[in-house]
Amino acid sequence: MSGDGGSGPAGRGGGRDPDADAGSGAGTETETGVGDPRSRDLLRVRDLSTRFFTQEGQVNAVESVDLTVRDGEVLGIVGESGSGKSVTALSLIDLVESPGRVTDGEVWYRDPDLAGEFPAASDGDYVDLRRVPERVRRALRGPSFSTVFQDPMSSFNPSITVGEQIAEAVEVQRRARSNPRSTRSRTQGYGLGQFLLDSVVPGRDYADEASHERAVELLEQVGIPDPGERAEEYPHEFSGGMLQRAMIAQALAGEPDLLIADEPTTALDVTIQAQILELLRDLQEERGMSVVLITHDLGVIARMCDRVAVMYAGEIVERGTLADVFDRPTHPYTEGLLGSIPDLADPAPRLRPIEGNVPSLLGEEMGDRCYFADRCPKAMYECLSHPPEYDAAGSGEHAARCVLADHEYDPAEALPGGYFGGESGDPTADADPGGDDRAGPPADRRTKNAPREGGDGD
Amino acid sequence: MSFGRFLLKRTLQGVVVVWGVVTVVFLLRFITPGSPVDVVAPLDASPELRRQIARELGVDRPLYVQYFEYLAGLLRGDMGYSYLSGTEASARVFARLPATLELTVAATIVAVALSVPLGVISATRRHQPSDYAATTFSLLGISTPNFWLGIMLVLVLAVQFDVFPTSDRAFGFLESVGHLVVIAVDGPLVPPGEGTRLVVEFPLDVGAFGRTFTTWLSYIVLPAVTLGTYFTALITRLTRSGMLEELGQSYVQAARAKGLPETLVRYRHALRNTLIPVVTVVGLQMGTLIGGAVITEAVFDWPGLGTTVINAIQQRDWPILQGSLIVIGVGFVVVNIAVDAIYAYLNPRVVE
Amino acid sequence: MLSPRTLRNLKREFDRSALAKVGVALVALVVFVAVFAPLLAPHDPTAQSLDDKRLPPLGFSGTENQTTTERVNGTVQVVNETVTVNATADHPLGTNALGQDMLSRVIYGARTSLLVGLLGTLLAAVVGVPVGLVAGYVRGRVDDALMRSADVMLAFPSLVLAIALVGLWGRAAIRVPDPFVVAGLAPGMPRTFTLPGTVIVVVGLVNWVWFARVARGEALALRDEEYVKAARSLGASDPFVLRRHVLPNSATPILVLATIQVAAIVLLESALSYLGFSGTELSWGFDIAQGRDYLATAWWISTMPGIAIVLTVIGINLLGDWLRDALDPGIEGEGGGGA
Ligand code: SF4
Repeated sequence: MSGDGGSGPAGRGGGRDPDADAGSGAGTETETGVGDPRSRDLLRVRDLSTRFFTQEGQVNAVESVDLTVRDGEVLGIVGESGSGKSVTALSLIDLVESPGRVTDGEVWYRDPDLAGEFPAASDGDYVDLRRVPERVRRALRGPSFSTVFQDPMSSFNPSITVGEQIAEAVEVQRRARSNPRSTRSRTQGYGLGQFLLDSVVPGRDYADEASHERAVELLEQVGIPDPGERAEEYPHEFSGGMLQRAMIAQALAGEPDLLIADEPTTALDVTIQAQILELLRDLQEERGMSVVLITHDLGVIARMCDRVAVMYAGEIVERGTLADVFDRPTHPYTEGLLGSIPDLADPAPRLRPIEGNVPSLLGEEMGDRCYFADRCPKAMYECLSHPPEYDAAGSGEHAARCVLADHEYDPAEALPGGYFGGESGDPTADADPGGDDRAGPPADRRTKNAPREGGDGD
Repeated sequence: MSFGRFLLKRTLQGVVVVWGVVTVVFLLRFITPGSPVDVVAPLDASPELRRQIARELGVDRPLYVQYFEYLAGLLRGDMGYSYLSGTEASARVFARLPATLELTVAATIVAVALSVPLGVISATRRHQPSDYAATTFSLLGISTPNFWLGIMLVLVLAVQFDVFPTSDRAFGFLESVGHLVVIAVDGPLVPPGEGTRLVVEFPLDVGAFGRTFTTWLSYIVLPAVTLGTYFTALITRLTRSGMLEELGQSYVQAARAKGLPETLVRYRHALRNTLIPVVTVVGLQMGTLIGGAVITEAVFDWPGLGTTVINAIQQRDWPILQGSLIVIGVGFVVVNIAVDAIYAYLNPRVVE
Repeated sequence: MLSPRTLRNLKREFDRSALAKVGVALVALVVFVAVFAPLLAPHDPTAQSLDDKRLPPLGFSGTENQTTTERVNGTVQVVNETVTVNATADHPLGTNALGQDMLSRVIYGARTSLLVGLLGTLLAAVVGVPVGLVAGYVRGRVDDALMRSADVMLAFPSLVLAIALVGLWGRAAIRVPDPFVVAGLAPGMPRTFTLPGTVIVVVGLVNWVWFARVARGEALALRDEEYVKAARSLGASDPFVLRRHVLPNSATPILVLATIQVAAIVLLESALSYLGFSGTELSWGFDIAQGRDYLATAWWISTMPGIAIVLTVIGINLLGDWLRDALDPGIEGEGGGGA
């Protein structure tokens, strides 16, 4: 589809002044890759769909998502809670839990060795992770992809010391390296027998001494004072910020190519948030790894990201460079997020609350229209059929899933207010096209609203 | 607080509870109609004879005197003398204790060894046939009275198919091990140091030991299964539901995300945290296990504390009854302190 | 106590879970049988008939070796003969060693089990809940004292304590006139029904601790709720707050515990009567004990009442699971075990 194959932004600036980014820096298209332009793409996701099969019905949490992650860039995924951004991240690393399942799509990952091993699932240097055995995907967690979750307190096992847990992450990679074949089995060469021995024999443990030392080193690298002592402590003895640093240390244990940070600062105090972001930034630049940063916080996006994808109701509704999306938003949802005047000088522009709720995403209730139509101030009759992704600027870089990316808003075509069941914003309510004044412009629904933002994951 | 201090605190609490147990057991006699004299005296005993008996039994003195004497006796290991046979109560009780210990330990081993894997399998293969089998088993297990289960096992495996002996074990575990030594002893069996040398012949007669051990095993299998089933079922249920809950926690997902093999994720992370509440409940339910042992002993004529208690109640042989009850109570307290220690080991937060 | 929301949750869980339906059906069946026992039983469960002793259940006719002594011309002769024992529709579950009808005994046994289970649980709750609520609400010394005495109680296995108390206090029984028989609806049935009085009191006293523990936990938590604090700050008296706020809001966990307790007490009662510590002979446990000596010749005497116990307890446990899943009171695995 559109949006890939173009040259990437020159994202590697030193200082990360949001203003500079918004103004010019990120949007320039200068460096063109030599040879296959795709070679700058670490990960190319095509048409990825994830559904949850619940008792109430099928929930399309992620629908036909296309994403490209380039080497050494920070890609932001922004959206309200429930928009599918976290599920997207989990889908990339194959950690969607039952009753959810990745149902469709391709996840192309650049790994010449793997591509050689699975020629049927490969294309050049790229291998489609959806078509390799599960154990291979599992083995990629750690050395290729690792994750920082939102709530450090619940993401650490409460009854194991922090150092031990990081050492485990180091150890699993060490064992995989020393015995590559172990990654070919379900248990990765660590069966129940060994587990029992480790638990019963005193002094025997999964992670060896060297891994523990490495864990302490990692703690030091993420700026935890007295790392040796802190490693011996349990998660509940850490503050939230310190624990989030520890989780970042844990994520670095496998020297990953791609770090997925899922709302890494949402659970933290504002001052701590800034420190954690700075740490992520530094580590990313130091190691040149790619980062996918998932957040509902536009301030975080503005500070951190090279490119942005905006998600709504399981779809990517707009994507482009930071400047494209922030300066020239095309999709009314993006506009809504940014407020009428995008002000990047604002240190923390939060999601501007938009009237109504994120749709329930129940498959049978979604219908065929633009998913945003019931909340969209510019909804028109043509929006009743699902819009494709339009190239907004002709560059192939900035795209939006909205008819407005193709042509101007026509008030004469506007859907009457209350078309989707009045103020409820409930897509399940019966449409009642006959009962309204067609000519009336849609009410400005942004005035009174129910804020839906906050710290919860999707 | 260190682990040692935690243990010390729990032990002190345990001592208080043991004191309570002793007091309740002591007072039991005074809230029971009838006098110990009735137990011993002939029906047509004269008042003088009855007074004499009361004096001999020591039950004519004020309650508090009896109480402190009883406490003092216990501290010396003296539980009094059986009203009926005149033997030392403590000797009788402790002679019966090993049989009960064997039974409860065997049942616990069976229960833990079966239930935890069963619960884990059930939780990790949710809604698969093995899960349904495990949940059905555990529902049946917690709903079946164990004495009936014992009788049914006897009916099928002993009466119908003659796989196991019906009841009345031949000898205890120690004796079965003892056979090995006895076979190897040179000369008549007298304590060492009295003229006979204890000669251990090599090679040991392993075959003979195997036979006695197998016999011992054949006697204990049915009682242990009878007693262990309820516990197996209970722990399976708890492990399953706890494991399902833990597997849904974020730290499990995080552990998978950092690349840990599923074995580690399940056992080292999820199972460990599952067992924390399970251990508590198991401790609380220890009473059920001991109570179950009493009735299992009755079903299999097992010569343990349970049958001793029942006989002592029927005969109103107070010293034996009190001694047995105290041993059972102390056993419960000790087991619970052990359980708490395991709990604290598994869950470092409680020691804080 | 049962808000519309609660009812809705119950209904939803009931619709969702096949096991909940099985549980409700089993419990309904047992309650029905227990209530209408005199109308349902084909025979007087206590009527002995030595001619009909040890008849097998329907479908299990067979032969039996009988040894009888006969006096022939002044000498005693031992006669060994193989006789055929035929099951009869008159005794669908067979008869016991005294020729009593097993089906009737199983039906009447449901009464004993359920009455002991319900009355015992009621007594345990009436004793345990107030003690627990007060201890959790007042805290401090009262609470410590309660928790230590609860520990002491728990140190005695409930079965051992119950045996001791019933054995030592005697097996008092209460004879209650059977309304159906008095009304003339069930001629030929026993005129009175025997309630094992000591057993009811003892199982209640033995199990109050579980109620005290749960009620205490609830009171501890509820004490810090805003509305309880508000009521106190407005000058409401402690008894009023306890009755008005704490008790109703602890109702759900107590209800779930009570269900588990009924199951535990049914098992406990059967164990007591198996061991002969009961006040009635119309009890499943008693019959199982009676059949113990006839395992080789009449397996059904022990088997039939046992199946009745298992089905009853499964039903109650499933009912308890349903309530727990629907109401989510956060207690699990506590509440006394089976025998
Ligand atoms: S397609 Fe139509 S309804 Fe959807 S966002 Fe664009 S203008 Fe609004």
